[in-house]
Amino acid sequence: MNDSLDLSIYEIVGSPLCVASEDGQKVYERIAAALREGRAVSVSFRNVTSLTSAFLNAAIGQLYGPFSEDEIRAKLRVQDMEPDDRALLKRVVDTAKEYFRDPQRFDQAVEEVLGDEAR
Amino acid sequence: MTIRLPAIRHDRAGFEALVRLSAETEGHYLSRIEIDMSQADWFDADMCALFGAILYRLGDRLNTIQLEKIRPSIAQILSKNGFLSNYGRQKIPDTWGTTIPYQRFDVKDDRYFASYIERELVNRHEMPKMSDGLLKKFRESVFEIFSNAVGHSRTELGIFSCGQFFPKRKRLDFSVVDLGIGIRRNVKENAGLDLAADKAIAWATEGRNTTKRGRIPGGLGLKLLREFIDLNRGRIQIVSDAGYWISWQGKVQSGRLNHAFHSCEFGDQHF
Repeated sequence: MNDSLDLSIYEIVGSPLCVASEDGQKVYERIAAALREGRAVSVSFRNVTSLTSAFLNAAIGQLYGPFSEDEIRAKLRVQDMEPDDRALLKRVVDTAKEYFRDPQRFDQAVEEVLGDEAR
Repeated sequence: MTIRLPAIRHDRAGFEALVRLSAETEGHYLSRIEIDMSQADWFDADMCALFGAILYRLGDRLNTIQLEKIRPSIAQILSKNGFLSNYGRQKIPDTWGTTIPYQRFDVKDDRYFASYIERELVNRHEMPKMSDGLLKKFRESVFEIFSNAVGHSRTELGIFSCGQFFPKRKRLDFSVVDLGIGIRRNVKENAGLDLAADKAIAWATEGRNTTKRGRIPGGLGLKLLREFIDLNRGRIQIVSDAGYWISWQGKVQSGRLNHAFHSCEFGDQHF
């Protein structure tokens, strides 16, 4: 990937314990900002020792609201993940895709994003 | 007013007794509440999380709490884990290192909770030997409980936890309690389902059901926790509103308590 943004989860969170939704939100904001600029993003989980679904939902799952699956597949690369963490991420992504298929939830998510931008 | 507390075990009767305490003191403001513990000849240490949450809410309503006639053996347990330090007693050293201290957290305390778990559970030499992979999953399961309380409860008074090791039995009893709106109300407000309290808990633990709304998806935490505990032949009990739910060795039972209490979760694990 040329001109891709390289992100270290460990550096953003400042800890090997990636458990808080708020920390996931910080990761999300960087990925989303780069994707909105049309940039590819490479995310490294090196040195991360614990992950929760709450963190991954906020960091990655949330992307499936404003961005399409195709866009995410083309632009986002996840690296240096243990196999069990990768399995958890897959479940988070599957759940997120299903979550955003529900139009009511999707509308609410869009409303929240627009609300933020209007502030 | 004076309320008498019976023996408190982390079973349905124990929950029932503490939830009754909560219900009977509901609405008290600027009162003096004496809790007579002379009949409490047993107190499972992890139940301090629920007991403490109830007393904390009473304190928040400007009530004065007095714990009376505590049996010496019970006082020792509740002093070792730091619970009675909140009610005027001195903490006593935990010689065998089997307690996981009673602690209250705010919802923003995810990292503080994580370091409490690392310090009090993961890095303890009393902890049964586990493979690195199992230890990682164990730690993540405990974090999922906390995340679940943070993400769903809307608690303003905090999240309470406490635990006890039984090294010879290779067992850990660990409890997390929140003072939030409860699962039944959450399911009603966010999923539009008006279920009985026990049915609402069952709903929240199944499939991809979630009460999460908005831009961040959810619906995995409780399922991951349940899978881990089932896989390790542990037991998980959830009390919320008037609902009681238990999953043990793959079998689920649920029912209604006589009184209602806001959300709390309990996980007992075996290794």
